[in-house]
This record gives sequence, C-alpha cells and structure tokens, in this order.
Amino acid sequence: MYIQAAAGISPQPSFERLLTAPAVYTGNRLSCVEPDYNQLIDPKMIRRMSRIIKMGVAAAMDCLKTASVDMPGAIVTGTAYGCLADTETFLGKMIENDEELLTPTAFIQSTHNTVGAQIALLLKCHNYNNTFVHRGASFESALLDAITLLGEQQVSTVLVGGIDELTATGYTLLSRFGLYKQDVTDSTSLYNRHTRGTIAGEGAAFFLLADQPAGNDYAQLNGISAFYKPGSLAEIEKHIRDLLSAHAVDIDDIDMVITGDNGNIKEDRVYEQLRSSVFRNTPNARFKHLCGEYPTAASFALWLAANMIKEQLVPSCVRAAPADVKPRRILIYNHYQYTYHALYLLSVC
Amino acid sequence: MADLKQQIIAQLSLKDLKPEDIGDDQPLFVEGLGLDSIDALELIVLLQQVYKIKLANAEEGQHVFRSVRTMAQYIMEHQPGTAS
Repeated sequence: MYIQAAAGISPQPSFERLLTAPAVYTGNRLSCVEPDYNQLIDPKMIRRMSRIIKMGVAAAMDCLKTASVDMPGAIVTGTAYGCLADTETFLGKMIENDEELLTPTAFIQSTHNTVGAQIALLLKCHNYNNTFVHRGASFESALLDAITLLGEQQVSTVLVGGIDELTATGYTLLSRFGLYKQDVTDSTSLYNRHTRGTIAGEGAAFFLLADQPAGNDYAQLNGISAFYKPGSLAEIEKHIRDLLSAHAVDIDDIDMVITGDNGNIKEDRVYEQLRSSVFRNTPNARFKHLCGEYPTAASFALWLAANMIKEQLVPSCVRAAPADVKPRRILIYNHYQYTYHALYLLSVC
Repeated sequence: MADLKQQIIAQLSLKDLKPEDIGDDQPLFVEGLGLDSIDALELIVLLQQVYKIKLANAEEGQHVFRSVRTMAQYIMEHQPGTAS
C-alpha cells in the first residue's frame, strides 16, 4: 500500500516546524494548533461543526488536496472518544431542559461517525464510509479495513484517518482517574520524570492510501500488526519478528524505530525492555512529547514517519539519542495503556 | 424583530451575520438565507424555548418560517396570554 498523502492537525503546527522550532507546552495538556478553517472548509458548512469535526474535515481536505484526489474510493475513520463536545452539549441540554426541547444539531453531530459523514457530505461522496470505535485500537481497525479494501481491489484509493479530541470535561474526568502527571513542568521533560501518569493530547491525522504508486508518494505502508493484551515481552518480540519476517525484513534493516513512550514509568517499561533486546542496535525516536497521549495517537506517529521518509529527515526533537539517519525503513511500535498494541512497518517508495 | 433576528443568529450559529443583514421579508430557506431542514428543527426549539409556543402542526412551519416577519407575526398571535 502506498501513502499518497498525509495531513494532520495536532499540537504541532507542521512537520516543517518540527524540524526548526517544535511547539513546547507547559503543564500536562496539549491542545491542537488549529488552522484558518475557512481556507479548507466551505464556510456554509462550518457553522454547525464543532472543533473535532473541523479538525477532522480540515485534515481530510488537506490530505486529498495534497494527493490531488477529488473523490476517494472509500472513507474510513477511527476514533475512541468521538465528538465529545457535541455529546457534552447534548447531555447538558438534557439536564438543563429536563429532557425536553433538545436542539437537534448537537444530537446529530454527537455520533462517532460524524467526521466521516461530514467529509462525505462535503465531497458528495457516496462511496463506502465506515467508522471504527474500538478504544485504543480504533485507528488500527480503520487502517486494517482500508488495507483490506485495497487488497481485495474493491477500491484503488482510501481516505483513512484517526481523530480524537480532548474537551475540558474529558480532561477533568480522565485526570480523576490519575491518567495525567501532576509534576510535569513542560512537554520536553516528559521522559525524565520516572513517575506514573502521562500528558493529555489530541489530534486528527488523515492518509490517502492507494494500491498503486503515484510517483510522488510519501512512503510505502508495508504492513501493520495489532494485538491485544500480550502476556509477556516474548510475545511482543514474536509479533515484531513475525511482522518483519512477513515482509522479508531483518531488524538490522530498520533505520529507525518510533516508540510510543508516554512518560508513564509503568507503561514505558516495555519500550525500555525492547530497547535492550530487539531494538538494541536500532536508532530510536519518540513522539508523545509532541502530541500527548490519546487513544489514536499512533496516527500522529504514522503521520510523523510518513513525513520523515518523504523528506529523508529525522527532526532532532524526536530522536531519543543523537543519530545521523536518513530513514528508508521505519518501524513504529505503540501501545495504549498496555492493552492495545500496534506495529507499523513503512519504507521508502 | 431585531431581537428575533439576534435569537435566530445565535440558535443557528450564523456567526458571519448581523441582525441588520437579514431583511424582514427575506426568505429564510433555500434562496434566501439558505437554511435547511435541521435549521427548521432549531427554529421550532427556539419558539418553544424562548416564546413557549409549540407549533400546532408541521404544515404550519412552511408559512411561519417563511421570513422573520411571518415568524414575528406568529409569535405575536400565539404568545401565552395573547388571544389568537
């Protein structure tokens, strides 16, 4: 599969800015840098869109524009939280108005598939449209569906994206569960605290996948592997070896491994162990100090890896240790709360 | 009618419009302001929430929501305590 284009709205303004001046955040919450939506979305459609919908639709439109594709063969999205702000508005009105006089817009827009639906409405696209809501495996599920559609030659292009927003209410509730660090001073020190908890994040990343090369593709997506609650480190190592061998790749052929460290000493342990075993000779990059932790954060890592391969550059802000690498082959390993695990293998076209 | 226009702008998130941009007799739907069926539902909620008026039947909506003036007339005629 070929990544014809990748576009994202994240706490980082752009890949170019990652190379020169990445955004650094104080505290434990990272919010997306939002563009001027009027440049990307029909202003008549914007008025009803909540923030997450604008983020998702804008990233999708940007992706299609970059790929010079007007009509994708399918639209597939993955989200764990869905349209939280609209859900909160709707539930709030239910309480406020004693379950009467509910405004229809917030209800209609509160469903998880609204982003995919709005993209289709804007494009007047009647093709396959699906949304996966599987907690920390939502984006991987969407991607697997996209790969299956392309593999079965049902379509030649698929617009696939991962989207999650963090609202003030969501942040407060998740903070109560102890998800976020209280002792983090700024996002660059995320990995130095050696304490429990992480930093909150959000983002929207879209990819135009195609079964054939277009000539100016970002990267080739060789394969992905998603697995649930592995029983041991050996099992994870086996998943890594199986993915690599399925694509006739040796670990020494990997120029860079991007790991999903999030600063939580408990959750990062597995990455540390792998850095001492299978990844011991492979340059390492990390990304969650740039986007924060959220269930579809791997979509940010895929956006990052696709850009790194396209530009043949590794931003210094992602390198775990100094390394002069022109990445031709990248492996991403990420897990969400040590429950949902995923591996992505990419290579230069 | 200026108040009603302001309420319509707020209810429908018509952020780029000011009350003076909406003509008293300008059609609200299709060729006028370009509102759609979801907006019609929002206007029904507005009537109930702000003016405590419940549309008697759906067919009335076509006439009531033709313009700001027809909405205002309907409100005047149907506000609680007003003889219709």
